[in-house]
Amino acid sequence: MKKFDYYQPEGLSEAFHLMEKSGESGKYIAGGTDVIVRIKQKVIQPDALISLRGIDSLKGFEVDGEVSLGSMTLFRDIERSEEMRMACPALVEAVSILANPQVRNVATPGGNISNAAPSADCAPPLLVMDAVLTVAGPGGERKIPIEAFFKGPGKTCMDSSEILTRITAPQTDRGTGMAFLKVGRVSQDIAIANAAALLVMEGETCRKCRIAAGAVAPVPLRLRKVEALLEGKKVDQELMEEAGRVAGAEVQPITDVRSTKEYRRHISGVLVKNVIQKAMERVG
Amino acid sequence: MKKEIHFQLNGYEVSAEVESHKMLLNVLREQFHLTGTKEGCGQGECGACTVLVDGLNVDSCLYPAFEVEGKSVTTIEGLVAKGNLLHPIQKAFVEEGGIQCGFCTPGMIMSSKALLDETPHPSEDEIKRGISGNLCRCTGYVQIIESIEKAAELMETESSKATD
Amino acid sequence: MQEFSFIGTDTPRPDAPDKAAGKAVYIHDLTRPGMLYGKIKFSEYAHARIKNIDTSRAEKLPGVRAVITGYNTPEVRIGFIKDNFALKKGKVRQFRDEVAAVAAIDPEIAEEAVDLIRVEYEELPGVFTPEDALREDATLVHEVDVKGRPKTDNLVPVPWKFVSGDVEKAKDKAAYWAEDHFETPLIQQSCMGTAGCIAEFDLQNNLLIHTKTQIPFLAQNDFNQALVAMGLKGKNSRVIVPTLGGSFGTGLDTHGYEYISILLAYKTGRPVKIVLTREEEFTALSPRQPSKSHIIQGCDKEGKLLFRDIRMLLDNGAYTSWGATTPSVMMLPISSLYRVPNVFYETKIVYTNNTYCQAMRGYGNPQAAWPMESNMDELAEKAGMDPYEFRLKNANIPNDITPMGLHITTCGLKECLDTVAEKLTWKEKRGKGKGKARGVGIASLFHVGGSGRVYRSDGSGIILKLDDFGNVSVMSGGIEMGQGFNAALSLATAEALGVTPDKVTVITGDTATCPWDVGTHASRGAFTSCNAAISASEKARKKIFDLASEHFMPRIKSKMKKRKRKDPDFEIPDLDYERVCDPSEFDMKENMIFLKEEPENPLLRVTLGDILRAAHYKEQGTIVVTEAFYDPCNQMIDAKTCRGNVSATYIFGAQGAEVEVDLETGKVKVLNFVAAHDVGQVLSRQAIRGQIYGGVVQGLGYALTEEYRTNKGKNLNPNFLDYKILSAPDIDFPIEIKCVETHDIEGPFGAKGVGEPGLVPTAPAIANAVYDAIGVRIKSLPITPEKVLKGLAEKK
Repeated sequence: MKKFDYYQPEGLSEAFHLMEKSGESGKYIAGGTDVIVRIKQKVIQPDALISLRGIDSLKGFEVDGEVSLGSMTLFRDIERSEEMRMACPALVEAVSILANPQVRNVATPGGNISNAAPSADCAPPLLVMDAVLTVAGPGGERKIPIEAFFKGPGKTCMDSSEILTRITAPQTDRGTGMAFLKVGRVSQDIAIANAAALLVMEGETCRKCRIAAGAVAPVPLRLRKVEALLEGKKVDQELMEEAGRVAGAEVQPITDVRSTKEYRRHISGVLVKNVIQKAMERVG
Repeated sequence: MKKEIHFQLNGYEVSAEVESHKMLLNVLREQFHLTGTKEGCGQGECGACTVLVDGLNVDSCLYPAFEVEGKSVTTIEGLVAKGNLLHPIQKAFVEEGGIQCGFCTPGMIMSSKALLDETPHPSEDEIKRGISGNLCRCTGYVQIIESIEKAAELMETESSKATD
Repeated sequence: MQEFSFIGTDTPRPDAPDKAAGKAVYIHDLTRPGMLYGKIKFSEYAHARIKNIDTSRAEKLPGVRAVITGYNTPEVRIGFIKDNFALKKGKVRQFRDEVAAVAAIDPEIAEEAVDLIRVEYEELPGVFTPEDALREDATLVHEVDVKGRPKTDNLVPVPWKFVSGDVEKAKDKAAYWAEDHFETPLIQQSCMGTAGCIAEFDLQNNLLIHTKTQIPFLAQNDFNQALVAMGLKGKNSRVIVPTLGGSFGTGLDTHGYEYISILLAYKTGRPVKIVLTREEEFTALSPRQPSKSHIIQGCDKEGKLLFRDIRMLLDNGAYTSWGATTPSVMMLPISSLYRVPNVFYETKIVYTNNTYCQAMRGYGNPQAAWPMESNMDELAEKAGMDPYEFRLKNANIPNDITPMGLHITTCGLKECLDTVAEKLTWKEKRGKGKGKARGVGIASLFHVGGSGRVYRSDGSGIILKLDDFGNVSVMSGGIEMGQGFNAALSLATAEALGVTPDKVTVITGDTATCPWDVGTHASRGAFTSCNAAISASEKARKKIFDLASEHFMPRIKSKMKKRKRKDPDFEIPDLDYERVCDPSEFDMKENMIFLKEEPENPLLRVTLGDILRAAHYKEQGTIVVTEAFYDPCNQMIDAKTCRGNVSATYIFGAQGAEVEVDLETGKVKVLNFVAAHDVGQVLSRQAIRGQIYGGVVQGLGYALTEEYRTNKGKNLNPNFLDYKILSAPDIDFPIEIKCVETHDIEGPFGAKGVGEPGLVPTAPAIANAVYDAIGVRIKSLPITPEKVLKGLAEKK
């Protein structure tokens, strides 16, 4: 493996300073389960890694109406929190089947989202919650709605000096149900397709609808056509089937070594239909 | 760059001068000559390199060595008690046929320990989830699961003996 | 029924404790004094002329001790038809071709040096399917054959053809027949411990090589031939095998990296270690032979099979290894699974610029079972018969000779089929689950169980050495690779000799100290080595009882006297201490020698160690060391007629599955799986369960998720992220296994081989269940959701 320097700043300004010193060839690293693999595969070859593991201000979560999640909170802690399960069940669902225990013991939502793989399991649950990402850099802090964050496979709107520090999701309304589903080749796999749904129901009518799908477009995608189909309507079996069809048409999948364009198109439709059903069952 | 790191290894305070690009797996195998922990893929997919850091099972092939500063690391060798006594989990794997070629075994046992330390009486599904990051090509997992169930029993007997 | 003390018990495997403690030493863990690290530079093209190799920058890198290419080393030819070379000259024919190699003082420097080697290529058009390679205008992968004569096509000169009876006539007579095409992909063995070796020379230029192999003695032979090519004729190789992290057939050949390690060791005068990374294990090792089959089977009105016609097209890849011989094994089930009077089997093996293949568990049988057992169901449907009944009707029976000349002795096929049908509740479920997209399927297997004679000798040697304390060392030329060889051998020796297993130490894997063995393959390890151990044990018992004749009563007398000295009140019993017992009066069990006539008499027993010490520590004393060489009563196949009783006995089995197909996603969910295997006799219960469960799970991967994918010869998924083997949560259904014990006459304690069959019928059993569930027949592996959905759409 190519040699790199490894820095362990204890605060954000120290991290920014180290990144500035490293210039083009520096990279932030969270749990390492994406970055180290990409270095070993020679996809990236940084000269320096700046670890965010020691920056305490990035860790921890609080649920006080809204959910405030530090980007360096470990997946294992999110998985085990009853509080988080109540507040953002779709995210906890995604996190608890992400990779395997060894990965979840060191990996973080900040890393998962910053890596910006189209298949990132954290993305659809946060997209449907209209999450806001706090990004910090040497010039200060800015808040970005998550939909504006992803720019392409592996690309975000952050510049190389910025760090994702916090993920905030607003309090959900009464009558909200949300869910996450994923399909892989085997039980423990990167997503061939994943999807999340958040529905706010008034009786049988859907007052608000958010649908997101991953691994089926260059970025994790909000499916606005599906949302428009459902909002204001009575959600019955027929409408859910229609939602699946619209979803299948709205996504932009590719063929790669894991799956085909055709299958991904088909399966995302099935997933969206099923995740809407699941979210409906959870309305409370 | 190089740094001297200090950490606890199998119950002992140790230190080592390591290079910044090395992973914990390299340090354990090459510098401490603890070859029980294996490299199966180097990319965090197979779990053969699993060790415990502060009691949690992690893939040491992706764990930067610098990050182990101040932490406590347990490897498969650390489970063997003084007097060459196998840990109940190791004993259970031997008795229930959970070991064939043995290459996945150290990682599998470390994940089992992390599981049983947190969930002393896991269901079959919890066991499968607990070892979902440890691939085995030989056993088909059946006798491994039986070994972990036996290990849970043995550990309970041991802990109740300890409290008697 | 024989009662055993240790055979068939749950005695833990003797190699398990060290593995549990992390003490077992695999090739990755081994170091040798002064060792260097080797790394190989592989080709960047599937097919290209090598125009120039510039190693100057690599040679200058500090820490590099040698850089070699095909141009500065003697030519070393490898492979059984010798069409491959350790290092390539002239041109490269596949992506994994070894073009250069480096030895350096640490692995990172070696890797950096490899990157500094610059190779100039002139790319050539490549052929990537056997069909393309067979076209008139196809580029030749090899322009000349191994003798230097020009080649005019891409055919590999290893044709296989088996004919029995008259298939054409039988076709006319058949009341029903079914014809179809089937395909199997490249599959990777995926051992958890990758391949590697450490080669070194002693000061007389003899080679010592620690290497991951299943064939230490054949490897020794191969390496000795390499030494001749290196100008070291008359020098010897010693092959030592460390603990293996699985093998599954990867160790059945010698590999480029071993010869490269040898060349580097010779050049540097130091041990050189090469260990493959996981990516190299995928891209540079040889996977399972893929296949394309055209099959027609036919039966009469009553459902009795009349003929089987199979023609296969095999993509050989760029060089020839055991993949090209898989038809010689496929011939066995093709000619002999079920009673089929007329069989035609022919293969065409074609060079391409893809990876070449070699052995993987089952050695062709899984590739043959796929078309045969899938088509068996197709034929049953045509004949209007239930597939389970159809198989019973045609099942092999004991004491039968098949058209290939295979002597079936014990045969538990009917019992295996009945077991699977019963446990799956076949009659209640078959054909009844379509509404829920549920179905059941069954498939049989036929394999060698008493070795398979493929070499001039099919022998296994054993040396037994007893020490002064009744401990037994068993030296065997066989190999433990996780299958339980050491467990079976230690139990068999303990049982045959009359000692307890804890007294037995199995020592394997050293050509200098262990007796010759053709290799651990063909599921032969326990069968042959345990038979040799039984023989050697019988010789040892004879020697021991001869010694006991002299020393038994004197030892008892001595013990009585000693006791009297310690305890004056002790009354020495009135025995005939001067009697000289005849050797035939003795028996030995659990380390104790006693008289057959009085097995319970506590006074008339002496420990084995006692007798051995008495025999050893005296003037003109003696120790007990015995040996045996077991070469089974089998035959090589006649090259022309393809007839011959290749094995000393045959194994049978059946597997069945209940599945549910998700009609939305196309995913096949296994609900229940049953495997019944005719094993003759269980030797080590732990080991046999492991072999069958492990085989089934490998079979399920083969059926549902595994595929080594390539594009124009380049591997697309050289990692576990994208080559999907099953993990624990994937086994979310019960697997029930039954060992049918048919008590073979030739097998050790009645045992037959069991290493390979576990994954042979799994894929067709799943495909047959899927067909029962949704009426769609998938004909190429793996059975992916994509293929299922496509099949469902086509059905509409």
